Amino acid sequence: MNNHNIISATDLNKNFDSLQVVKGVNLDVKKGGFVSIVGKSGSGKTTLLSLLSGLERPSSGRVTLNGRDITDSSENELALFRRDTVGFIFQSFHLIPTLSAWENVALPLFPIKIHIEKRKERALELLRQMEMEHRADHRPSMLSGGEKQRVAIARALINNPKIIFADEPTGNLDSATGEAIMDILKSLHADKGLSLVMVTHDLDLAESSDRIVRMQDGEVLS
Amino acid sequence: MDLRYMVKELWYRKRRTLTATIGLAVGMAILITMNALSSAYTEAARMPLKEIGADITVQRAGDVPEDLTGPVFACSAVTIRKNDIDQIRTLPGVQGFAQALLVWVFDADRFTIVLGLDPSNPSGPGVLRSQVTDGKFLEKGKKQALVEASFAKNFNLKTGDTVMVAGKAYPVAGIVDASRATKIAVAHIYLPLEEAQKMAATSKQVQAVSPFGKDDANILFIKAAPGQIDALARSIKDILGDKASVATPASFLKQLGSLFALSDKFSMVTSLIAVLVTLLIVLKTMAANLTERAGEIGILKAIGWSNGNVVSQIVGESTLQCFIGGILGLLFAILAASALGFMHVSIPIPWEMSPTPHFLPGGGDPVFRTLRLPVHISWQLAAFAIILSSLIGAVIGAFLSRRIARIKPSEVLRYE
Repeated sequence: MNNHNIISATDLNKNFDSLQVVKGVNLDVKKGGFVSIVGKSGSGKTTLLSLLSGLERPSSGRVTLNGRDITDSSENELALFRRDTVGFIFQSFHLIPTLSAWENVALPLFPIKIHIEKRKERALELLRQMEMEHRADHRPSMLSGGEKQRVAIARALINNPKIIFADEPTGNLDSATGEAIMDILKSLHADKGLSLVMVTHDLDLAESSDRIVRMQDGEVLS
Repeated sequence: MDLRYMVKELWYRKRRTLTATIGLAVGMAILITMNALSSAYTEAARMPLKEIGADITVQRAGDVPEDLTGPVFACSAVTIRKNDIDQIRTLPGVQGFAQALLVWVFDADRFTIVLGLDPSNPSGPGVLRSQVTDGKFLEKGKKQALVEASFAKNFNLKTGDTVMVAGKAYPVAGIVDASRATKIAVAHIYLPLEEAQKMAATSKQVQAVSPFGKDDANILFIKAAPGQIDALARSIKDILGDKASVATPASFLKQLGSLFALSDKFSMVTSLIAVLVTLLIVLKTMAANLTERAGEIGILKAIGWSNGNVVSQIVGESTLQCFIGGILGLLFAILAASALGFMHVSIPIPWEMSPTPHFLPGGGDPVFRTLRLPVHISWQLAAFAIILSSLIGAVIGAFLSRRIARIKPSEVLRYE
């Protein structure tokens, strides 16, 4: 594997029973790169994102993430690896409804023995960066879609990840809010040098990235 | 596990938390109340004997007196020989011992129940010392009498007077009010044991029916070492034979006839059913709760929680929830116990233990000792219920979370 790549996927295949969802994908993502995966609904782009991020195991092929071959790692090893290396942003935000904004941000740190004040301090700092500090004690039900996604981005950053995987991050937002979220993601990439892999069906959004990977019927077209 | 997260999950999912917590609380309240009630009946059954300072009373049945003149023995309390008494006194497990002599005295002008007791012995009828309302209690070696208050009133007797019993005069040392005492070993006149023994030994009627030596007695009062009552009762029956009438708290419990009193098995079965129903309620509520939260658990795993982290969080949550349920159940049980504490229970006194001849007017009427049901929740029972509640929470949490913790985050996210 090239040391300049943060992701290296070789001949990746994923079957669900008799249905082949990802077919022989080879893909490298450079460190600090911003890659968009685009395609129609059902083209296999979200499954590919899951395979690259270690959320899903491939049926065959190999994935190396941040220098580590994660293909044969156990569920628990993958969980710990994700906690240390990866940040996730989802279309539906996936915030815990019973926790406040700052607690949601700090959620990945809950299993780690860190003093609650330090945990909170770090979460508030990230909320400040997302211009959400004033909503720190509000629960998700009291936040707008854009605010929820900002909290989700802060949560993805709490563990200082090497790479962020974003699955349709603006899919549930109006266009203005979506643009604002994209600006945040672009600045994370541009200013902090974070690697970013984003799944979207919106070609306009994909234009912001360094590279666009097009998918159709489980195969990478370009 | 994170306490803040646990508390918030329980607080903001109020409906489910309340269903599980109240379900468990009701089950635990039933368990605690049933056991407290069962203990209360057992305690109540101890009272008649406890009030006369004993755990066991011993009598021996014999023949009916042929001629009701002068001092006679009741057929339910005939002579217990000195050698048998000595043998019983030295049995293992005997912690306190007193002997007494119950004599019916049919004088020409009145009928008197006389009880001879050892004034220096605090066990048995010696407890009457605290019920003296006027004058003094009997003193060892002094020929004197203690008169029961209502008898004294009927026959206009006062402290310092002289009372005639079986042709002998006794100065009245004091008046005793035994009206609130158990109707066991109560008499019209109490004499020092030696005086009563002399009276019985010189009575032709007594000797004709039940030969009596001057050191014999006809009622024994025994305090037993904890847990030794039943074994001691069996040994006493072995010594005195089939005609021995050995009363223990268990005999009174049988007389009560209540389901609670009949056996510990009833309260055990009821408690078991309560715990099982509770278990099912908590299991069903928690299973529904976790199914609802499958997506949330998938997210936790996606952002780096291990299976162990998820399991310990859920186990912590269900343990905390059930612990609260246990505390609530204890509060419900305390309220129930307070209400049940107003109930009265009438404990029938077996006819053979009643000192009144059943052939006299009113003598054959059933005799009861009525008292308030002593319902108490012991700290051991309270602690057991709370520990059991927490354990139910931990076991159900562990059982359910082990499956849900294995959920793949990608599966959840795919369907979301």
